[in-house]
Amino acid sequence: MPEMTLVQTLLIAFIQAILIIVFVFVAVPLTIFSERKVLGFVQQRLGSTRVAGRLGGITGLMNRGMWWMGKIPIVHYFRGLPGLVGDIFKLFIKEDVKPAKADRLVYLIAPAISMVAAMMVYAVVSFYPGVLFTIPSWVPIIGGLPVAGAMADVNVGILILLGIASVGVYGIVLGAWASNSKYPLLGGLRSAAQMVSYEVPLTLSLLVPVILAGSLSFGEMTRGVATGSSPWAIPSLVFGFFVYMTCGYAEVNRLPFDMPEAENELVAGFHTEYSGMRFGLFYLAEYINMSVVAAIASAFFFGGPWLLPFGLQSFVPEACWWIGQPHWYIYVAKIFFFLFVFIWVRGSWPRYRYDQIMAVAWKYLIPLALVNLVVAGLVRYFA
Amino acid sequence: MFKSQEMEINMGPQHPSTHGVLRLKLRLDGETVKYCYPVIGYLHRGIEKICENKAFFQGQVWTDRLDYCSAISNNLGWAEAVEKLFGITVPRRAQYLRTMLNELNRLNSHLVWLATHAMDIGALTVFLYCFRDREKILDIFEAFCGSRLTTTAMRIGGLLEDVPEGFDKMVKDALHAVRTGLVEYETLLSENRIWLKRTVGVAKLNADDCMAYGITGPMLRAAGIAYDIRKAHPYAAYGEMQFDVPTRPEADTYARYLVRLEEMRQSVRIIEQCLEGLPEGPVMAKIPKVLKSEVGEVYHPTEAPKGEIGFYLVSEKGGANPYRFHVRAPGFFNAQAIPLMVQDSLVADVIATIGTLDIVLGEIDR
Repeated sequence: MPEMTLVQTLLIAFIQAILIIVFVFVAVPLTIFSERKVLGFVQQRLGSTRVAGRLGGITGLMNRGMWWMGKIPIVHYFRGLPGLVGDIFKLFIKEDVKPAKADRLVYLIAPAISMVAAMMVYAVVSFYPGVLFTIPSWVPIIGGLPVAGAMADVNVGILILLGIASVGVYGIVLGAWASNSKYPLLGGLRSAAQMVSYEVPLTLSLLVPVILAGSLSFGEMTRGVATGSSPWAIPSLVFGFFVYMTCGYAEVNRLPFDMPEAENELVAGFHTEYSGMRFGLFYLAEYINMSVVAAIASAFFFGGPWLLPFGLQSFVPEACWWIGQPHWYIYVAKIFFFLFVFIWVRGSWPRYRYDQIMAVAWKYLIPLALVNLVVAGLVRYFA
Repeated sequence: MFKSQEMEINMGPQHPSTHGVLRLKLRLDGETVKYCYPVIGYLHRGIEKICENKAFFQGQVWTDRLDYCSAISNNLGWAEAVEKLFGITVPRRAQYLRTMLNELNRLNSHLVWLATHAMDIGALTVFLYCFRDREKILDIFEAFCGSRLTTTAMRIGGLLEDVPEGFDKMVKDALHAVRTGLVEYETLLSENRIWLKRTVGVAKLNADDCMAYGITGPMLRAAGIAYDIRKAHPYAAYGEMQFDVPTRPEADTYARYLVRLEEMRQSVRIIEQCLEGLPEGPVMAKIPKVLKSEVGEVYHPTEAPKGEIGFYLVSEKGGANPYRFHVRAPGFFNAQAIPLMVQDSLVADVIATIGTLDIVLGEIDR
């Protein structure tokens, strides 16, 4: 890799940041859209075109337009998209209500904390090992320089990742506390207890790939688990994956662990008093966090940009270059699959009770994750 | 330095899962409920007093608004109470149709109960499945009496009209939908570990307490007492129907869930018997245009989906409307048990309790 000046480094990082933001802001609305579509199919409900097509307003108008166009089969499937655009637009134009007795400063910055913590995790996510593409030589200043598949694939990537992810809980707890209202307070208390508890088994389950790969760097761990690990490690990886996913669901407050915002109990939980785009930031942060959990699960347990996980990659014949080599789109496809699983679970399961959630974490997940860690260590030592 | 205090919190009247406008004053220690005080009356319209100023045939319109999820049961109770007061005999075909409509209504009400109860516990899919199947039943009501929710389906002395063309097929389709739907709900819930954790042993109310509070219906049957007015004091055509009264000994939320699901199966059975044995003949008895009452009083209990709904009528000589009217609404008695059931449980269990009681504020506040 050629030596780069500071300006060049910053520009390259800027380009990577733009790419990540594009990825996130394409992935999140698509997830929201597919959440509606998939849940709609799971629950056999009628779509917005059947219901809102006759109505007024922006959504109705746009839906009506699509309804007329809807005779074309390709458009048929995506007819819900205008509703999504209308929804996001609505969040922007809604009045931003602040409760009179709220702690103003904390109330205002809490959604930003959630959002920033969720986005920053992507800095260490490695979409592709090595160089993603090279900038053409005619571009001034940065011409001919490579753009890596990870923004900052530092050698303590997983520590940064866990550290930033644990900041996310502050957004929720501070927002709940600053609202100075009773239901958000209950939601904030729940989330403080829940997210802090589930961080323990989550970290323990992520130590399995750390041990197997012998590294803390995101890219190295992905490579090590996908290509280098022994077949004996498969049970421990699969088990670690299940523990990780369970904790991941709890960390991002999705069903069956959506305690902080259990709408039937706490109205809307920690964001009851939020409206407009401030609520929108919480909403976006939840979905970005979902994609982060999906990204980590597919990187550390399902081979990331490699096609096959668990060290099975070496069995792919050389001739199949398009699946034999790592590719960023394989990784993105896996992320989207896990996002789909999030929605699928939401459509299938009821919600745990608060004390039962804590029991799951402390009584089952942490001991199991510890045992799994020992097994992984033994595999690493002997195999 | 540190001190702890209990937090008072208002659950309702504007809350997603208090089923309307129930308000619970809760005092919480952390998440544990230390004290609960239900406040009712936000939906009070004075239905009993209004009916005292309405002619006998007009009162039925107001019974729709009691428990709006099971309007036909209320209609039936009202019509039979008035018929008992005047000594009117209803033709056999009308009795059968009434029974059938009443059981369709029971399916409707139990579907709404399962939908909201499951949604309160977080199972959103069950909610939409139930409403999908309920739609077919509401279509039947619409075909029969022109409205879906506030049906006013009965007339004093029988029914306004015979069933429309194609009624059999609609009913059979709806029964098929309910029967296949029941399998789906059971697949999603009955063996679901989370559902079991949230319902087994939650909101217990044993048989003694049930009787002390005057609780009837599925709540009582889930406590092991096989009391069903359709069997105990048959009305309409229930005396000629073959059906079982399901009971469970556990007296918890899960037992009530099982009892109500089994009741839905029995309702399907009753409707099928009605369809098979539907007699020919008129659907309306000969009654005078204007009913003038003698001095008398009558109490007529019927088995509504939520429990015993009783209509108490007092009449005066030559009166065109009831002198005194009172409704014994099952939801009112069920709601009384809330403080007992939620004592020392968690906030999430309060929601499950409200769901399992199957209360509708329309009949509690009246």
